[in-house]
Amino acid sequence: MVLLQRPHILLLLIDTHQFLQCWIAFGSANEEGQQQEEFSEELLVKPLPDHKLLAHFHFQSSAPPSTSNGCHHHLFPKAISQLVQKFRVKEMELSFTQGRWNYESWGGFDPISSSNAKPPGVELWAVFDVPQHHIDASWKNLTHTLSGLFCASINFLESTATYSTPEWSFPPASGNVRYGTFPCEAVCTENLTPWLRLLPCRDKAGIALLLDRPSLYRGFYHSQRLHLTSTESSSEGIDSGIILEQTLTVVLQPNSERAIEVHASEKHVQPSWSLSSIFGKQVSGRCVLAKSSSVYLLLDWGLVAELKFPNKENGKSAANGLTSENFWSNPSFELSVNPDRIFLEESSSHSKSLSILYMFQVEKYSESEPFDIGLMWKVPVAWLCQQTPLHASRFFMGSGNERGAIAISLKSTQFTEGFMSANSKDGSCELRVDVFQVVPWYVKVYFHSLRVFVDQQPRAVSDFIEKIHVSPSKDKMSPGVMEVVLKLPCRVNTAALTIEFDKGFLRIDEYPPDANQGFDIPSAIISFPNFHASMVFLEDDSLNRSPLLSKFQEKCPVMSYTEVLLVPLTTPDFSMPYNVSTIKCTVFALYFGSLLNVLQRRVAEEERFLKAKAAKKTGRLPLLLSKLSAKLRGSGINQD
Amino acid sequence: METFINPKSLFHLLLLPCLLLYSSIAYNSSPVEAAMHTNNWAVLVCTSRFWFNYRHMANTLSLYRTVKRLGIPDERIILMLADDMACNTRNKYPAQVFNNENHRLNLYGDNVEVDYRGYEVTVENFLRVLTGRHETAVPRSKRLLSDEGSHILLYMTGHGGDEFLKFQDSEELQSHDLADAVKQMKEKHRFKELLIMVDTCQAATLFNQLQSPGVLAIGSSMKGENSYSHHLDSDVGVSVVDRFTYYTLAFFERLNIYDNASLSSLFSSYNPSLLMSTTYYRKDLYKRRLEEVPVTNFFGSVMETIHTDAAYKALSRRNSGRFEDEMSLDQSVHHIKRRMLIKVNDGDEIHDINPELLQGEEGASKCPWSTFRNKFQKAENVDSLLNYGLVAMIPLLVISTWLVQ
Repeated sequence: MVLLQRPHILLLLIDTHQFLQCWIAFGSANEEGQQQEEFSEELLVKPLPDHKLLAHFHFQSSAPPSTSNGCHHHLFPKAISQLVQKFRVKEMELSFTQGRWNYESWGGFDPISSSNAKPPGVELWAVFDVPQHHIDASWKNLTHTLSGLFCASINFLESTATYSTPEWSFPPASGNVRYGTFPCEAVCTENLTPWLRLLPCRDKAGIALLLDRPSLYRGFYHSQRLHLTSTESSSEGIDSGIILEQTLTVVLQPNSERAIEVHASEKHVQPSWSLSSIFGKQVSGRCVLAKSSSVYLLLDWGLVAELKFPNKENGKSAANGLTSENFWSNPSFELSVNPDRIFLEESSSHSKSLSILYMFQVEKYSESEPFDIGLMWKVPVAWLCQQTPLHASRFFMGSGNERGAIAISLKSTQFTEGFMSANSKDGSCELRVDVFQVVPWYVKVYFHSLRVFVDQQPRAVSDFIEKIHVSPSKDKMSPGVMEVVLKLPCRVNTAALTIEFDKGFLRIDEYPPDANQGFDIPSAIISFPNFHASMVFLEDDSLNRSPLLSKFQEKCPVMSYTEVLLVPLTTPDFSMPYNVSTIKCTVFALYFGSLLNVLQRRVAEEERFLKAKAAKKTGRLPLLLSKLSAKLRGSGINQD
Repeated sequence: METFINPKSLFHLLLLPCLLLYSSIAYNSSPVEAAMHTNNWAVLVCTSRFWFNYRHMANTLSLYRTVKRLGIPDERIILMLADDMACNTRNKYPAQVFNNENHRLNLYGDNVEVDYRGYEVTVENFLRVLTGRHETAVPRSKRLLSDEGSHILLYMTGHGGDEFLKFQDSEELQSHDLADAVKQMKEKHRFKELLIMVDTCQAATLFNQLQSPGVLAIGSSMKGENSYSHHLDSDVGVSVVDRFTYYTLAFFERLNIYDNASLSSLFSSYNPSLLMSTTYYRKDLYKRRLEEVPVTNFFGSVMETIHTDAAYKALSRRNSGRFEDEMSLDQSVHHIKRRMLIKVNDGDEIHDINPELLQGEEGASKCPWSTFRNKFQKAENVDSLLNYGLVAMIPLLVISTWLVQ
């Protein structure tokens, strides 16, 4: 009886609990009416040194922590809030990337590159707010849900052999994190469309109108990212606030034909561009649901330093010149639209120059007067983007199909010496580098074979590795994970880590259909926890309202991804099973069949049987009758 | 050795006619017969990997576009593409797929929704989609959530041979597998009518093992014949469409959702000399006459609308629908009769339904035996006569088994 009554009591309890919560939430919502769902759309455009253009779309939706409207949302995508509630996701990031971020020419030390340069294919990590033993189940369900939501094969990340549990080296390391990548995933329109459906205006209005698929996918690099953070729920049951950040980063080649015609002699002139020339579309007004809708043009400090006026030597004064009233008539470039605001970077550790940010508000424009900024270069400029302290690359060593070695090489970029000196403490300057590497199980890594080379000299591992954590792979169960903290001297030129491996064998049905293409080893993550990429622009009250700029102000550690490696494994002759079974069957049929026939045949018996059959050729009916009579007489006992 | 009959087996034997009767009634009233056309689904499969099979993806996407244009929504289309052609590095036109060299129509528009792609397109997943045996975690968008009133279009293209279709250049779907899956679908009431359209070499052979009723199949070529591509696009660099699909599309481009073109007009539109192969269609499992079935039966989503004057009717119909779920199978016989009644006198009020019938229903719900009794009393149709014949067979069976012992 107790057992029977219990669910009712429980239900009753839950009911009253929810009712109370709703009531409380309603009251609180009434009190603080400013807590509303918000959406903002922003686009940042930045010329890159190698005649390309970076366009960074940033959409942010936020849902406050309240149950005032139950499960209903005005702007926030319902699919995401359901996902957060169901799987109790604390933080999650999903990125679809095609192409490789070129750290050398596009930079690696700014907020955009350190948080939006992603490894090719799909990368997913998530932090869950569930007990330890439920995390894997939640992860599995999450991958399936996301694969349905984004038309992708993220569900391949469900198997334990594909994802890993970083202990501490992965930046959002807070325990219950799971990390998985799927490097060979194709990224195309079908992934972008559901991503755009999460926006309140979709791609029908506002800045998202620019997202013309063919011009996006013609680019050199595109990475679509979805990052969500749910704020700590105070008590269970109450909706947690969610911040959904959707970014799309593309590197495009502006159509430079006109520029080439004009300045055929000068090869170094940057191509002139306008939004309509690169995207083929214009922004006709903002998305009316967006709280803020703005476009930024960022001139890197390296570029600003190059643009300084002939009579002024100081970068600061150059910046002043660019921000002054007559900026559009400056000798280096011409903007087609007057910016509404100009921000100057407040300060940076590098003293050479300061970045400049031109802001354009889309609100002012309409269908009849669409927004289209253009930038026309007048003089050739060449500059360099700021790079990561060490440039990381990864490659294979060895030959043959049996064994090899993975090498991660770090090269000093000579670009950040200023930081090094700033970071040095009483002469013992050290550069901390975190390496996080996941290796699939069929690449059997021998962790004891880890060797460190500093300035091309083999050195003792213990001298440079401060901390190491490895979890060896288990066949078909879990991948090998290596997390290393390196402490390198600041003056280091090159450093390399090598580790040997044997190639494993897969079962014949575990090979993918294009096995001869090779197998991908996911990118290693190289992060520099002592360096933070942030851009602080001069404090202004409107800054607080721009999610993109406040994102830039956050101190995120500098991170870079290495290349994906393609390891060729020995592939079997896939037709062999068929050959084997065919020949086996033939042998059986020919040999055993005839042998059995010969052995089993009893000629005399057969003849006797035939004779008996001939003798017994009586009708069926008499037989039946005789049987019936036998039954009736009860003599059926002697049947055997 | 005992000569007497085991009482237990006697009980079984007695039970048998009851079961037989019950099952025959259940069969008569099985929802498959009675189900109305509820919705349309499409499963479109491109099974070929690699760039030179561009045309297979273009085929599938063309069909995808057609069925979408004719009204099947994205959530009722399961699209399986074995490779990524649109954003393939070899594609000169990123995020675009064309099925004609005039490049007038981008098949890979802004709203394409691919449910299974790349390595996910396997025989296993294909059969899982058809039979509905998924892991619990699989999202709804990847499932074929059809019901007993669904019309399903199953389109497959790729490289095939005698009784098989290659998946991803590594696996095969055999005609037995397909027939088995279709049979399972039938058993699980997952479709009312199914049109299988296959554009491969020797496509007709894939239908050899099909047995389930309600299945219509059309293939691009007979046994021993190849299916050929239509033309080569020198900009894309590969053939962009297959002949069979090309002429199918040529037929559909003339149509819109309101057209009444019949399936037979589609089937007769294929010209073997243009196709360079002979189309084959198998209709022995399909009851309706092809001249009377519009193509939108499978390629579009055109529902039969039942006109009602007042809002309450719809409500009462819905209620009756709920009843149907709750009632046991034998009662739904009555229900179906009532439904037919409604259909016959279309304009009449629903309250006009014979109250006795309703009464009968209620009575039946109390005592299932009364239905049996009713059945025995009426004995009005051939089916029940047949049932009695079957019941009469039982004593014979009993005697003969007794004799054999």
